[in-house]
Amino acid sequence: MTFELATEVPLVIDTLERLFQPSTIARIIVEGLGKAAVYFVLAVGLTLVFGLMGVLNFTHGAMAMLGAYIGGLIMVLSVSDGTGALVRIALFVVVLAVVFALLTGFGSAFEYSLIRPIYDRTPMYQILLTFGVALILEEVTRIVVLSQGIQPEPPWSGAMGTAPAVFTERYDILGAPIRGLYAFEIVLGIVAVVGVWLFLNRTLYGLYIRAGSEDPEMVEALGIDVRQAFTIVFGLGTGLAGIGGVLLMWDPLWGPSALLAIDVLLYAFVVVIIGGLGSFKGTVAAAILVGIADSFTTWLFATGIVTFTGLPELTIFGLLVIMLIIRPQGLYGVEEVGGH
Amino acid sequence: MSSSDEHWIRSYGRDQFPHVLVVLGFALYPILLGVLNRTPLASEASAFLPGLTFMIIVLYMGLFAISFDFISGYTGYLSFGHAAFYGTGAYFVVLAANGQVPGVPEGTPFMITMLLGATLAFVVALAIGAVSFRLTGVYFAMLTLGFAQVMYEFIRHWGYVSSNPTEGATIPSGADMSIGVPFVDSLNFAVGRLSGDSFENVLGVGIDVSATMTSYYALGIVVLLSYFVMQRIIHSPFGKVMIAIRENEERARAVGYNVFWYKMGAFATSAFFAAIAGALFAAYAGGASPDNSFYFLVTADALIMAIIGGIGTLAGPLFGALFHEWFEDILSTESDGLSTYLEQLLPESVLTAEVAGLTINDFIGTFLDGRAPLYLGIIFVLFVLFVPNGLLGSIRDRLGGTVSKRLPATLERYRR
Repeated sequence: MTFELATEVPLVIDTLERLFQPSTIARIIVEGLGKAAVYFVLAVGLTLVFGLMGVLNFTHGAMAMLGAYIGGLIMVLSVSDGTGALVRIALFVVVLAVVFALLTGFGSAFEYSLIRPIYDRTPMYQILLTFGVALILEEVTRIVVLSQGIQPEPPWSGAMGTAPAVFTERYDILGAPIRGLYAFEIVLGIVAVVGVWLFLNRTLYGLYIRAGSEDPEMVEALGIDVRQAFTIVFGLGTGLAGIGGVLLMWDPLWGPSALLAIDVLLYAFVVVIIGGLGSFKGTVAAAILVGIADSFTTWLFATGIVTFTGLPELTIFGLLVIMLIIRPQGLYGVEEVGGH
Repeated sequence: MSSSDEHWIRSYGRDQFPHVLVVLGFALYPILLGVLNRTPLASEASAFLPGLTFMIIVLYMGLFAISFDFISGYTGYLSFGHAAFYGTGAYFVVLAANGQVPGVPEGTPFMITMLLGATLAFVVALAIGAVSFRLTGVYFAMLTLGFAQVMYEFIRHWGYVSSNPTEGATIPSGADMSIGVPFVDSLNFAVGRLSGDSFENVLGVGIDVSATMTSYYALGIVVLLSYFVMQRIIHSPFGKVMIAIRENEERARAVGYNVFWYKMGAFATSAFFAAIAGALFAAYAGGASPDNSFYFLVTADALIMAIIGGIGTLAGPLFGALFHEWFEDILSTESDGLSTYLEQLLPESVLTAEVAGLTINDFIGTFLDGRAPLYLGIIFVLFVLFVPNGLLGSIRDRLGGTVSKRLPATLERYRR
């Protein structure tokens, strides 16, 4: 590749000109925040679990996949063609609650029965165990889904089709056509940020988590049953992953599929590490950063300025590497968090 | 330890006894398989024993898992992006065979491109390691994974590789992928699933060597050599420092070792052999795609093999690979696995009998056919929970030392 002044400079000027139009900025920001909301919900459970226990939960993506399929199942069974948009949205909220409850219970049971016996080993074994369980969950899901005549990949279109028309249509914001779903995702994202913030700052277990991510041994020394807190927090983290999965159910870029088990995991890792493992504030900031970077590079590609198809993915993982090179502990992370 | 009055060759030979056994086992296996196929047990053999094509996967995936274990098991740094090096080796060989690597003319012997690719992986590992070794534990694992994913996404969309980079690139049919001494024709054996050398009536004793068999033995020699180089490094003072880093890095540093460069050296060496494994895979499979070389799940396979075989034992991952591929083989229909066997064995009435609305046939199709990942996942979790030292590690614990040191003494005890 050679840099030719005569062609490259006008191209850069042209790009900047297109970038600073209100429609472009509106598109990048609204889509970016919508994606950021999804990334936040996908990643926050992972960061809570790591912050308290130092366990990197590799089942996180598989749990999101379960959430997406369970949510999709309930929606497909209860929605018919004539169902109105408001009813669908109300059902969606019900689904969120159901999936959250189910997966919180499942996650707690998983932590209690399988992870608890190996806390005394090196962190590597917790990674290995959760990774193995993630493999099993993915395969079981594939078997179950296939037996019901649904292809595990590409995404299950039946469930995606239950989204109300107001979300699939595009609306004009400052001249940019933007899908209605993004607004919904932003609203849900704000609710999730506020909800988790309230949990962390206004509840007893939130206090344990904040204290535990600072100094787990001291928390234990103060007579708090850390093991019980682990079980509950692991459950909540899993429940949040499930909610993230439900959120992906209507998203045309994702949708319920067996591939979520790995894709969600990798993206959640990126967000959590850029933000700093175990930091709530960092996860919010990193989700916004990654979301905006994603929508910006998607725009670059969509307008044909850059022809490299993998640009958004490459940028996101590139951000991870750059962040780890210049600031290994992440945006708001504390070095050597989680006691190792 | 052997007694001092014994000749050193004798004691050395005794130390190598288990190695000789394993090598002999691998070398004689195709012959055993060939003999079994002519007996009435042929259908059982093809149902329950891994076929030769799967044994070749055992060889290159085994080498990859060994190289993964070399860094992860011996220094304790989990290299979660190890597929990056495997992919580097594979893609380098494929691109070189297409004449697409600058400075490497088309028609360069495979042995040379393989070593060049491995050297490239060595350099890449030094670059990745320089950044990653500033961190430890989970952070190191994530950082290497991040690098590998960047390379994966890049290679998946890089138009230079081929017109459809998501599908990967293939080695042109005329390319000579031979293992042997470069530029000596009679000492070169072409490998490849379809294009390997085959020999009829070898040495006039009526034995035919198929293309698969040639690939099997040729790959086996490279894997064996690579294993012994790594084994020598582990048993050298350098290897002792690697283990010291795993056991207590602070102390190793306090004793005066420059642990950073020891870790870098170990990481780069392991990347070198991972790339050789990748190159062998590409040469045999006739190409590489991002999903079977650079992807996270390729590392995951090596991880599973290393855990099952015994992480922190160099030969363990090879047995893990054997176990893994044996499982894949009997649970796939591609080469007459368990489900084909059951379908032939069981009478029609049993196959169509319904139990709770599910026929036995459906059951086989749903729970056996191609379901290896499910059972491997379960076995993997059971190993992590109950056999954390893996197959070879547990045997070592029982014998109270490495197999080569302890086996002769143990056998001696049983002889009396």
